[in-house]
Amino acid sequence: MAEATSTQRLQLVEDWSADVAVFKGVPWGKAMMWIFLLSDTFIFTSFLTGYMTVRMTTAEPWPNPSEVFALDAFGVPVPLLLIAIMTFILISSSGTMAMAVNMGYRRKRKAAAVLMIVTAIFGASFVGMQMFEWTKLIVDEGVRPWSNPMGASQFGACFFMITGFHGLHVSAGVVYLAIVATRVWRGRYEEKGYDIVEITGLYWHFVDLVWVFIFAFFYLW
Amino acid sequence: MAVEAQIPYQEALDVHHPHSWLTRYWFSQDHKVIAIQYGITAIGVGLVALVLSGMMRLQLGFPDSFDFIDPEAYYQFITMHGMIMVIYLLTALLLGGFGNYLVPLMCGARDMVFPFVNMISYHVYFASVLILLASYFVPGGPTGAGWTLYPPQAILTGTPGVDWGILTMLVSLAVFIVAFTMGGLNYVTTILQARTRGMSLMRMPLSIWGIFMATVLGLLAFPALFVSAVMMILDKTIGTSFFMPAISSLGEQLDYSGGSPLLFQHLFWFFGHPEVYIVALPAFGIVSDLISTHARKNIFGYRMMVWAIVAIGVLSFIVWAHHMYVSGMHPYFGFFFATTTLIIAVPTAIKVYNWTLTLLRANIHMTVPMLFSIAFVITFVVGGLTGLFLGNVIVDVPLSDTYFVVAHFHMVMGVSPILVIFGAIYHWYPKMTGKMLDDRIGQVHFWITFLGTYAIYYPMHYLGFVGVPRRYFANGEMAIIDESVLLLNQGITIAALIVGVAQILFIWNLIYSYYRGRDSGPNPWKATTLEWQTPETPPRHGNWESTLPTVHRWAYDYSVPGAKDDFIPQSEPPGGEHEGSART
Amino acid sequence: MADTGQQHPISIYFWIWGLLFVFSAASYMVDYAGFQGYLRWSLIIIFMMLKAGFIVAIFMHMRWERVALITAIMLPPGALLVLVSLMAWESDYTWMTRIVYLGGEIAPEPLPPPSH
Repeated sequence: MAEATSTQRLQLVEDWSADVAVFKGVPWGKAMMWIFLLSDTFIFTSFLTGYMTVRMTTAEPWPNPSEVFALDAFGVPVPLLLIAIMTFILISSSGTMAMAVNMGYRRKRKAAAVLMIVTAIFGASFVGMQMFEWTKLIVDEGVRPWSNPMGASQFGACFFMITGFHGLHVSAGVVYLAIVATRVWRGRYEEKGYDIVEITGLYWHFVDLVWVFIFAFFYLW
Repeated sequence: MAVEAQIPYQEALDVHHPHSWLTRYWFSQDHKVIAIQYGITAIGVGLVALVLSGMMRLQLGFPDSFDFIDPEAYYQFITMHGMIMVIYLLTALLLGGFGNYLVPLMCGARDMVFPFVNMISYHVYFASVLILLASYFVPGGPTGAGWTLYPPQAILTGTPGVDWGILTMLVSLAVFIVAFTMGGLNYVTTILQARTRGMSLMRMPLSIWGIFMATVLGLLAFPALFVSAVMMILDKTIGTSFFMPAISSLGEQLDYSGGSPLLFQHLFWFFGHPEVYIVALPAFGIVSDLISTHARKNIFGYRMMVWAIVAIGVLSFIVWAHHMYVSGMHPYFGFFFATTTLIIAVPTAIKVYNWTLTLLRANIHMTVPMLFSIAFVITFVVGGLTGLFLGNVIVDVPLSDTYFVVAHFHMVMGVSPILVIFGAIYHWYPKMTGKMLDDRIGQVHFWITFLGTYAIYYPMHYLGFVGVPRRYFANGEMAIIDESVLLLNQGITIAALIVGVAQILFIWNLIYSYYRGRDSGPNPWKATTLEWQTPETPPRHGNWESTLPTVHRWAYDYSVPGAKDDFIPQSEPPGGEHEGSART
Repeated sequence: MADTGQQHPISIYFWIWGLLFVFSAASYMVDYAGFQGYLRWSLIIIFMMLKAGFIVAIFMHMRWERVALITAIMLPPGALLVLVSLMAWESDYTWMTRIVYLGGEIAPEPLPPPSH
């Protein structure tokens, strides 16, 4: 085959000059999901840019997140304990999702469905912990979107808006996973193939990806 | 191998044939029906915006003569007129309307890749229009913040519609963005992944290139508007301070503190400048095809045209703050953004040269679409040249917020795309309905519209030079305002009313020709692109026969020496024409 | 074979899974150990980019996609880099004007003054 000898640069030109499809072998749904994720990247980056701007421009002191989000473990305050647990849970869910994709393509559909359900359960527990975190912040710490006792009012505003929007994505992902998992279990994709699992997976990994950035920029800054 | 796998998939694409009236005309998944739904809705809401502009002109031309126009209503007219024209008419009509209609037909596809999502897209768009129009029925009426919706004033007492109008506006925008995303993902994926055999990107008609790049811009730029809408809703409803600094209103200190109004302007224009090209690029593409077809000549510099579209798309993301020279942003930004702004004039100028060179020594048919195309080039040159003035910081500062700006952007992104839209409707109406639009009404409509828009916007440059500020309800006793301004304003108003009323001709033409028009046949303009080669006119659901057409050449084989006709359709295999002369 | 999708040995996913745990723990330790200043910033950004890179490259299979898809997805966010860097620059300026003209209280850890 000519492709085997051509460099990647030539392959790039060949693909973009081809008829029918630019992304060879990529199903429509997967191409569409990638482009959607690109668009969603712009949404989350705009949110984070807004957060960065208000944080850098405010003349009020910014509350220290590692103190605000500290949790008492056996009487000792551990900074960001819950956030760390949430991070590990989301990473684990990404791991099980990657396995589910692999199982799908191996045509072990029941294994794929079970792994997707496990992923969804991880996701749901993430949302549950987030609700716990919100409750603690609102009830115990007195943080409100419009003010907080520790400093700049934008702290609460950005926190609730960004994690809320991310939480909505996770919740939507849990529903999406549950629907697809049920269909996979019932064998609906036996003929069409298991691209759908990979497409669902792309969305789920993206949600995890966004959390990586939120974790770094909101909790660790 | 993947190609072989995908083509049968597309050919066997299960086209869901409608049975009842409801699934045929309202919940249709056929891209052509959805396109017409988009078109009718957009034109309908555009007529509302046209009436609003007429009322503004009445106030400006004949101040204090009309009781129903008070300052509040005037600001509401401005806001609704601007937002409707830019988003709900131009974006929706060019991408939702023409994008939907042309993309599958010109790419040789049966439909969009996900017809169901496409259908939902229209209905969500329709909902956003309803929410927007609901502004007129909520307490306080629609917002009067200006279409840029700058905070703090947009959500402070004193601006009309501050209680409800601003919320319906922001929610409607967010809903529109959801609709656009669903449609836009479809257009992009269809163009990238579902073209027919032989249709490479460099054989695509420029219409599709323009629509493609504009849709990509939309998918990447609307998020910034979405985010700023969400943040402003939060500022307004629960009292966060994203955009609101510590501020007092009506002598009372408000609870806001520490927010950044500049942040909104940056986010808004990070969307807003690509938005200009979301409107302009489909118009660029469509007009290229119109000029080439009606001048019976291949487009000059096709590859250059494609790369110019791509370059404009890329550059449009790094010019946004040229809308903010007087906003108090970082003083060094002016240099950066003026430079990028002037660079973006290069690919744009290339396109203008290429249109002109296509017309040079061509066999020009003075059909109505051609008239509109030539008018577009002229208008666009005028609007573009004033853009060079405004792109330079030092010239922009005195001209900011004067009628010069109003004249500039109406010429370049108001009138120009609208002229293309008219031309495109005259061009593709035969394919959509099987009937020709009436030529004589079209000519009258064209001349009134074209000359009328010049009568409206040309004098506005002068108004700007003498310093008339824009967005003012009345100029009153200002010493700087010359006597001649009022006279000029009266003239502009009369021209605007005539142009506005003349659009009835167009609407009448659409309706009249649908019933009484001359039969067009499948290819009345003798055009090369695939949509004119469909087996039926108008194309039925699924567009093609059992096999998809195969493309053998680029879209611009007009007047090929030695060929038997003066055009060779893209689906014509090589061999019929003079060997070696055709571009492949 | 009906499926043209991605197939890779499962072991690689376990490896990446483990690596993501390590990087998360490491970036958490940056906070726990109380590093400040440029050291903190560079460590956080490095671990973040590593995590993001592995998720995109391995879990989302970007590494095995053809160059056409990689370029189409990875290049447009460049526009975001322009936005973020210009907004950071702008924010410095806004902060400076606030301090100069409004005389607000200076935050305990003032941002580095604009270098221009």
